[in-house]
Amino acid sequence: MTKEERLKKRHQAEKRFRFYGITSIFVALLFVVILVQNIFSKGSSAFKKTVITTEVFFDQELLEIQNGASQEEIMDADFYDIMIENLIKAYPAKDRDEEDELLKLFSGDAEIEIKKAFLNDNNLIGKTITLDLTASDDIDQLHKGNYPRDLPEERRRISDFQLVIYDYFVENKKISKNFNNYFFNNGDSRDPELAGIGGALVGSFYSILICLLLAFPVAVLASIYLEEFAPKNKITDFIEININNLAAVPSIVYGLLALQILLATIQLPRSTPLVAGITLALMTLPRIIIPCRASLKAVPPSIREGALAVGASKFQSVFHHVVPLALPGTLSGTIIGLAQALGETAPLILIGMVAFVVDIPSSPVDPSSSLPVQVYLWSESAERGFVEKTSATIMMLLSFLIVMNFIAVYLRQKFEKRWN
Amino acid sequence: MSNVKIKSKNLNVYYGDKQALFDVNLDLNEKEVTALIGPSGCGKSTFIRCINRMNDVIDICKVTGNIEMDGININDKDLDVVSLRERVGMVFQKPNPFPKSIYDNISYGPKIHGKGETKSELDQIVENSLKKSALWEEVKDRLEEPGTSLSGGQQQRLCIARAISVNPEVILMDEPCSALDPIATAKIEELIDELKKTYTIVIVTHSMAQAVRVSQKTGFFHLGKLIEVGKTEKIFKNPDNKMTQDYITGRFG
Repeated sequence: MTKEERLKKRHQAEKRFRFYGITSIFVALLFVVILVQNIFSKGSSAFKKTVITTEVFFDQELLEIQNGASQEEIMDADFYDIMIENLIKAYPAKDRDEEDELLKLFSGDAEIEIKKAFLNDNNLIGKTITLDLTASDDIDQLHKGNYPRDLPEERRRISDFQLVIYDYFVENKKISKNFNNYFFNNGDSRDPELAGIGGALVGSFYSILICLLLAFPVAVLASIYLEEFAPKNKITDFIEININNLAAVPSIVYGLLALQILLATIQLPRSTPLVAGITLALMTLPRIIIPCRASLKAVPPSIREGALAVGASKFQSVFHHVVPLALPGTLSGTIIGLAQALGETAPLILIGMVAFVVDIPSSPVDPSSSLPVQVYLWSESAERGFVEKTSATIMMLLSFLIVMNFIAVYLRQKFEKRWN
Repeated sequence: MSNVKIKSKNLNVYYGDKQALFDVNLDLNEKEVTALIGPSGCGKSTFIRCINRMNDVIDICKVTGNIEMDGININDKDLDVVSLRERVGMVFQKPNPFPKSIYDNISYGPKIHGKGETKSELDQIVENSLKKSALWEEVKDRLEEPGTSLSGGQQQRLCIARAISVNPEVILMDEPCSALDPIATAKIEELIDELKKTYTIVIVTHSMAQAVRVSQKTGFFHLGKLIEVGKTEKIFKNPDNKMTQDYITGRFG
C-alpha cells in the first residue's frame, strides 16, 4: 500500500466514524421528539376544560336561606333544586327523559359550582347571574375533538339528542374552553372532568421533602467520612462495593423492604408520603453517596496538603477547604438523585400509594397519591378523559424533572471552582 | 557558627513493602539553606515530608527512627502534628493556593492558630507576609481577587507567604521552582536568600545551579540513601563520593 492510499484510508475511517456518530445522535433526538410530541399532542388539551355558559336564577322558593346568609348556612344549604331548575332551562326539553339527558351534559359538581357563586356573593336571591358551569367528560372530549361523533348511536356514550343539544350550545356560543383550575386544585376523582393532580402534587412534594431531609445529611456525612477519614482497608472496600450494589438494586425491592419493615413491623400508616419518603430515601441514599464521593475525590490533593501544611487539622482541611469545593457537585448529585426519586413508581405502588385518594393530603401522614403513581392509575382508566389527563400529568412530571436537572447543571457550572 | 535545628537519626521510611529511605542521618542547620539533590524517586521529597509529618496522610507509609527538632523527637506518635506544622511550613512543587482570595489564602493559617484576633492584626500579618515574600507591591490593590488568578510565579510566592504567615521556624520547599519560568525562579531564589535570615530552609531541587546559588549545605540522595552531605561548595567542587561526582557532572540522573 502506498503512503497516499494509507492516508486516504485513515481519513475515510474518520469520516465513517463521524457519520455513525451523527446518525446515532440524530436517531436519539428523533425518539425524544416523537415522545415529546406524542405527550404534548395528547396532554395539552387537559389544561383547558369545557364550560357551558348557563343563566342561573336564585329562586327564594327553592332555597331555605336568605340573602346575607352566613358561610356555614350556605355550606349546609341544599342547592340541588336550584341547580335542576336552572339547568333544564338551558335547552327546551320536552319530557323527563330529555331533561335527564340534558342534565348529564353538566359535570357532577354543577351544584357545588352554583353554591360557590353564592358563597362569593350572598345577595343573589331573586337575581339572575351567568355562570360557566363545567361540562361533563363526554361533552368535554367531544368539544375538544377527541370524540368520534360519526359512530352509530348505540356505540356512543353520547345520545343523538345530546348531540343536538351540543350543536345548539355551539350555535348559540354557550360552550367554550376555560383554564382548567380543577386539574391543579382537585384530588383524584372518578369523573375525569373533575379529576386533578392537586393531591398527587402535594403527596409528591411531601415525599420528596422527607426523602431530602433523610437522605441528604446521611449521604453527605457518609461520603465525607468514607472519602476523607475512613482508613482504606477491606472493610471500607466492602462498604464501597455494597454502596455501588445498592445503587443498582431495582427500586421495587426497596418497596418490598418498606412493606415488610415500615408497614408490617413498625406499622406506619400506609399510602402516606411519610412512608413513601422513607422508602425513597433508602433508595436514593446510595445514588447520592456515589456523586458526593466523586465530587470529593475531584478536589485535588494539593488543596488538602496546602491546608494541612499550614497546620490545619484533618477536620479543618476537610470542612474549610474540601467540602466547600465539593459542594456544587454534591448538591447537583443530590438534586439528580431526588429527580430520580420523584419519578419512581414501583416502590410506591407496593406501599399502597395506588389507593384512590380524593382528598388533598394536609400532612405527610395523610393517605396520598404521587405524580408517577397518578400517571399509572389514570393510564389504567377506561374513560377517554383520563387519556389527556395522563399525558398532562406526565408533562408536569417531566417539567419538574427538567427544572431540577437544570438547577443541578446550573449549580455545577456556576459554583464549581476551577483550579490551575 | 550554625546550630543544628533538625537532626535525623537512622530514619527509615516504608511505603507498604517498599523501603523509600534507608538510615538517613542528616543535620540541618539553623538559619541556613540546605539543598537536597538527587535523581527522581531517590527519597528527597519523602525526607522533607517527614519533617512536617506530611507522610501521615499516606495510609501505607511507615516511618521509623528519630527526627529531632530542637532536641524533641517529632516522629513521636503522641506529638501533635498541628502544632508541628505551625512550626514547620511547606511550599509544594506545584503552586497550590486555595481557590479563595489572596487575603484569605494568607489569613487562613493565622486564623486557625488563633494569631491575629482582630481584623487589623490580621491585616498586618497579611501585609507582612506578602512583603516578606516580595509580593506585596504586586497585589496590594487586589487582595480580594482569587489567588488562582495570579501568574505561576506569583502563586508560588503567595504560597510562600502563606507558609510564612503562621511564623514558622522551618520552611520546607519541595522543588518550588520546577513549574516556573527562569524570571520567576530568579525571584524565588532571591526571596530564599532573604528568608534564610529568619528561617531554617530545606529545599529539594533538580537544578544543580539552583542548589549552588541558594544553599550553604547540600545533601545528595540516591535510591533512598543519603550518599554525601557537606558544605555546598565542597559538594560541587570536590565531592568525596564518586557517585556524587557523577551526578553533579551530569553523568547520570
